[in-house]
Formats: sequence, C-alpha cells, structure tokens
Amino acid sequence: MHPVVAIALKDLRQRLRDRSAWVLGFIAPMAVAGLISVAFGGAQSFHTSVAVVDDDHGAIATGFTQFLRSPDLHDLLTVRTVSSRADAQSKVADGVLGAAFVIPAGFSDAVTAGSSEPITVLGSVDATVAAQVARSLAESFTAHLEGVQLSVRTAVAAGAPASSVAALAAQASAQPLPEQVQPQASGARTLTAVSYYAPAMGTFFMFFAIGFGSRGWFLERSGGTLERLSVAPLGIGAVLAGKSLATFVYGAASLGTVAVVSSLLFGADWGPPPVVAALVLALALTLVGLTALVITLARTERQAEGIASILTFGLVLLGGNFVFIGQAPDAVRALARLTPNGWALRAFTDLAGGAPWTAAVGPLLAVLAFAVATSALAFALRRRVLAR
Amino acid sequence: MTPAPSTGAAPASAAARAREPARGGGDAYEDVLVASHLTRRFGDRVAVDDVSFHIAPGEAYGLLGPNGAGKTTTIRLVCGLLSPDDGSIEVAGIDVTAGATRAKARIGYVPQEVSLYPDLTARENLAFFGRLYRLSGSALRARVDEVLELVDLTDRADDRVDAYSGGMRRRLNIGASLLHRPELLVLDEPTVGVDPQSRHAIMESIRALGSSGLAVLYTTHYMEEAERLCDRVGIIDRGRLVAEGTRRELVARVGERDRILLSASGSLGSFAAACRSMEGIDSVDVSDSTVELLARDGRLRLPTVLAAASSAGASVRSVEVVEPDLEAVFLHLTGTALRE
Ligand SMILES: Nc1ncnc2c1ncn2[C@@H]1O[C@H](COP(=O)(O)OP(=O)(O)OP(=O)(O)O)[C@@H](O)[C@H]1O
Ligand SMILES: [Mg+2]
Repeated sequence: MHPVVAIALKDLRQRLRDRSAWVLGFIAPMAVAGLISVAFGGAQSFHTSVAVVDDDHGAIATGFTQFLRSPDLHDLLTVRTVSSRADAQSKVADGVLGAAFVIPAGFSDAVTAGSSEPITVLGSVDATVAAQVARSLAESFTAHLEGVQLSVRTAVAAGAPASSVAALAAQASAQPLPEQVQPQASGARTLTAVSYYAPAMGTFFMFFAIGFGSRGWFLERSGGTLERLSVAPLGIGAVLAGKSLATFVYGAASLGTVAVVSSLLFGADWGPPPVVAALVLALALTLVGLTALVITLARTERQAEGIASILTFGLVLLGGNFVFIGQAPDAVRALARLTPNGWALRAFTDLAGGAPWTAAVGPLLAVLAFAVATSALAFALRRRVLAR
Repeated sequence: MTPAPSTGAAPASAAARAREPARGGGDAYEDVLVASHLTRRFGDRVAVDDVSFHIAPGEAYGLLGPNGAGKTTTIRLVCGLLSPDDGSIEVAGIDVTAGATRAKARIGYVPQEVSLYPDLTARENLAFFGRLYRLSGSALRARVDEVLELVDLTDRADDRVDAYSGGMRRRLNIGASLLHRPELLVLDEPTVGVDPQSRHAIMESIRALGSSGLAVLYTTHYMEEAERLCDRVGIIDRGRLVAEGTRRELVARVGERDRILLSASGSLGSFAAACRSMEGIDSVDVSDSTVELLARDGRLRLPTVLAAASSAGASVRSVEVVEPDLEAVFLHLTGTALRE
C-alpha cells in the first residue's frame, strides 16, 4: 500500500470513528431532505376543498394561501373562500369543506421574529383524511418556514459549533421568505421540493468536511504525529496528498450517498447519473481546495474551526442551499455565482427540471474553476504552513 | 548498577554487522551516525553550536544536558526535521540532507512528547506507522505483533490509545518507531513523567534493543539514566558539547575522588584527626555519628581507614564508597547543577 493511501485510509478511519462524521455526512442531509419530501409529498389521487380564515393579514399568511393555490396542489385541493371562522366551521361540519385553516393574528410577525405560531386546522370526524391532509399541509408550510432553523438545529445536534450556528440563525431569519413555496426551475418539468432540497442539504452538510479536515491537520501538529509523518521516508507532499485524498473521498461519498438514497427513497430527481457524478466529484475537489485554504489561513485548531464555519455558512447562504433562489432578487442570484455550491445547485435544479445534460457543463466548469482557484491560493500561501 | 563496558568496542555481533554492506544497497559504513560540526541557529540564538559525535552499531550514546541545552534541536537535525546551518550528518553512510528519504528509512525516532493517534488502537497505530515505511500484508501483521510483544502491550493491543495509562503510551510511543527495524534509534527524553516502574521497563527494552545491534541516541536530563543506559555520554550545555566519553572517562576529568561514608560511634574526633593526616584523603567531615571522607581511590584507602578507626577507638557500623557521578562531572564542567 502506498503511504499516500495509508494516510488517506487512516484519516477516513479516524473520521468515521467520530459519530458526528456519520451524522453530518450521511444521516442529517438525508433526514432533512426526507423530512421535506414527506412534508411536501401527498396522496395525489385524493381531492378535497379547503378554506383559509386569515386573521393575520400578513405577508406570510398570504403566502400560505398562495401555497395552497399553487399548481402542484391543484389535483389535491380546491381553495374556497369563507367569510369568517364561524362560516368555515359550519361548512366543515356540513361537509362542504374537507377542512379549513385558521391563521392566527400575529402569525407573520411571529414567524419573522423566529418563533412559530401553529396554523389551526378545523376538521370533522366525517372527513378525517381531509383533516389529516390539511394538517400535514399546514405542517409542511411551517416546516418550510423553519427549514433553515431545522437544518441549523440538526447541525447543532450533530455537534456543529454553537457559536457559528447562532450567527447563521440570525442571518437566515433575515433572508426574504420565498413568495411561493413550490419552486420552479427552468426546465419543462416542475421541480419537486425534494429534488431541490436533497442536493441543497447534501452540499451544505458536505461542507462540514472542511472543518473536519482542517482541524485534523492541526490535531496532527499539536499531537506530534505530524512530526512522526515528517521523519518517515516520504515528502510533505505525500502527507498532504494523503490527507486531501481522505477529504475528497469523504466528501464524494457523503454527497454521492445522499444522491443515491434520496433518489431511491424519496424520489428526488438529480439528473443523469454520469453528469451528477461529475458534479459530485468536482464539488469534492472544491472541498479539498477549501480545506487546504483554511489550513493556510489558520494558526490553531480553534482558528481553523472558526474559519471553516464562517466559510461553510457563508457559502451555503450565498449559494442558496437554505433559501430557494429561483425567485430571489437578481443581486442574490448573482452572489450565488460566486460559490461552487451555488453553481452546482443550479446545475442540479436545471437537470431535475428537465434541462438537457449540456446545461450542467457551464456550472461544472465553474465548480472546477473554484477548486483550482482555492487550491492555487492555498499553494501560494503554503509557506505559512511549512514555516511553522 | 554497573556501568556498561566502555566505549568504542561495540559487541562483536554489531561490529561484524558494521562490516557488512548496509541494508538496502546503501553505502558501507563504520559508524551508524556521524555528526560533524553541526550548527543551528534560531534568529540570534545558537541552539546547537559546532557539535560533533559518532555512534557505532550496538552502541548507546547519551546526550545529557539541562533544559534548553539543545538536545531536541540536535535530534531534529539528525532526523532531518531541521536542516543544519553548518556541518553535516550521515546516517548509515547516507548524508541526511542530500539523501533525506533514504536516510530517514534507517532512523527510528521517538519524539519527546507521546505522538500517537489517541482515537486509534495500539495495533492500528502501529500498522499505520509500519505502512509509512512500506511494510504491508502478513509481514506487517507479524511485525506489529512482534513490536507489541516487545513493548509488552499484546494484551491491550486492541484498546484505543486514549484508554491507556501514561506509561503504556510511552511504551507504545517507542514501539511506533521500531516497526521498520531502524539501524539508529533516536529517543528524546522518553521517560519524562513516567513512574519508576514503567521507567524501568522502558530502560530495559532500550537496553535489549541495544544489545541486538541497534545504535541508540538517547537524550535525557536524568544523569542516572545516562549512567545506566549509555556506553558513552556527551554532555551538552548551551548548545555546545562540553565533554564526551565513557562514564569512567568523564568522571576522571573531575578527578577520581570518591566519597567514603562511615557510620560509627566512639571517639570520632580522634578518628577524624587520624584520617586528616592520611595520604590520599583530601577532606574529612564529621557530623553526629557519620564521618565523610573525600578520597582518591577510595576503595584502596579503605583498609587503612578502618585500621585507623579501630586504633582511634571508634567502632564502625557501616561503610559506603560512593564514586563520583555525572552530576558531579556536569557541575565541574559547567559550574551549574543539572537540575534545579
Ligand atoms: N523552533 C525554534 N525556534 C526558536 N528557538 C528554538 C526553537 N527550537 C528550539 N529553540 C531554542 O533552542 C534552544 C535549545 O532548545 P532545545 O529544544 O533543543 O533544548 P532541549 O535540550 O531539548 O531542552 P529540554 O530538555 O527542555 O527539552 C532553546 O533555547 C530553545 O529556546
Ligand atoms: Mg528537548
């Protein structure tokens, strides 16, 4: 076995011995994508009438009504108008409506402030399925609103540093909420939520590898094992290659697994496998470049952790991993083009929306360019590492 | 503890080995390590200043010096972790600066701090370090088992290192440097912070390695360790090698004055007076029931001293002759104590 491979395998073994590597790399992205898909999925052959009692009159309440009226729910729902809560209640009792939603006063404000008010569902014992569908729609809407917070909480549970999560949560709640929940892509088909969130969450959680990899380097240094590697008959290049290989394999395995599992279990549409594989590998290369960059910028393990978190959350916020940016203002969409994940996500959504594979070529090159640029920058700064 | 037989003359097997061409088609060599005029500065500070020494196969060489003397820097130079500002190092006939990779394959380095992966087991750690030296397959597995046996960790081989005691980690730290059967083993204060029992075990295993023909470079600031383990000792202070030789040779530099400690009763005053007039006794000190003499060739003086005691009317209960140690040598050479 070549020493480079030995170093990579050793790193992977250490990483996978850490439970958070499994959670962040494999379980969390699937859980979040799965939750969203369950929330947005529904029984397609079923149809019922519902109504919304809007005591809130806020932007988000309006958004909810639009959500119910969105084309994807046409098969499922007919939205009727009611004059009051009492009117709704009697219509539900009479069976004219399968269920009704009551959006409480102050709902929009509460959501904007970061807390959540439940949407009340009025149902009848004669139409339990309709009530259940309505309840799951209300929950899925709330879940969407909380999508960001949800991923944040998952990240916390999995051991992401609390300091960076607080900053993220603050930033995320400041993001404009999407006017329409059902995302649209440029292709002919309608993009389903899971087809957006599976790659979005997959790339987001993949970026935690940057923190792992760069901290691992500083642990080798402080633990003296780097010195042992340095007295072995291999160059520092072999050590770096081994560690990069581990980051690459872990990143590719993480996103690759999310792609396969979310396709099989939740029906996510990622696009043609060879193109997806190329994008996954290019993103994994970017991870290597970013990890190397963090190592050159940081001086201690703690600094590496901090820089990696800022980089990770900065990239995923700009890139649109949390907020679907199809409808975002042009400026936000332009910012996404500065990130490899933004480009990759664009390719994934275009492919899922039915665009031809050629649509992924530009984004793929952009991701690769990002990998090359970060690696080159890290290489230019290598003296900072070797001099220490 | 008897000092090891003196220098230069390495055990026969090792000497025979030295005449063989070095393994791996390397250059033939006589000394495993030859360091010539090594100098290394950090800014204005000269950490290692014109240091030269050599180590023969099977020989254990101790670098003895206080904190900051330049021991670790010397070792880092030997292992190719630092490059010298001046001077050269050859390991197994290979220049360490020019042929770093080939030279490194001959060196086993035990860092001053325990340097292992705490989240891996002992076996995994050893296998990993073995692979860095291109061991693989059944040869690797067999060698890992051998090393585990050598450092007496076979029954804990599959425990994670973070569950190990300090002494066990120290032993594994040494084991991790032996997988590739180095010709030169370099240890940087391997017994710091180790309880006496583990320390004993470590010393014994290093001794055993030495007798199998391995050359050992050992740094310490414990003079007992240097005395007990090393065939030759170099005393390093403020970057300079101030003296070098076997224990006996070094001690001779202080002057061969032994301390004779007598515990006695009776007329100690007249006994002391008799001693003072004796030839070869340089000083006499009386306190309570002990008399302390500083004598050249203490053992030879002993019969005369005991005869003087009985004729002076002092009855001697016990006698002890203490030969001068490296501590005294160090004090003599540098004017400072080895340890505060
Ligand atoms: N990387 C470095 N940069 C600057 N100075 C250094 C460096 N390494 C060692 N020194 C200095 O060189 C001198 C010798 O240090 P060295 O570590 O070799 O001593 P030592 O004999 O191993 O001491 P100890 O017994 O404490 O381990 C010290 O004054 C130390 O401060
Ligand atoms: Mg030292």
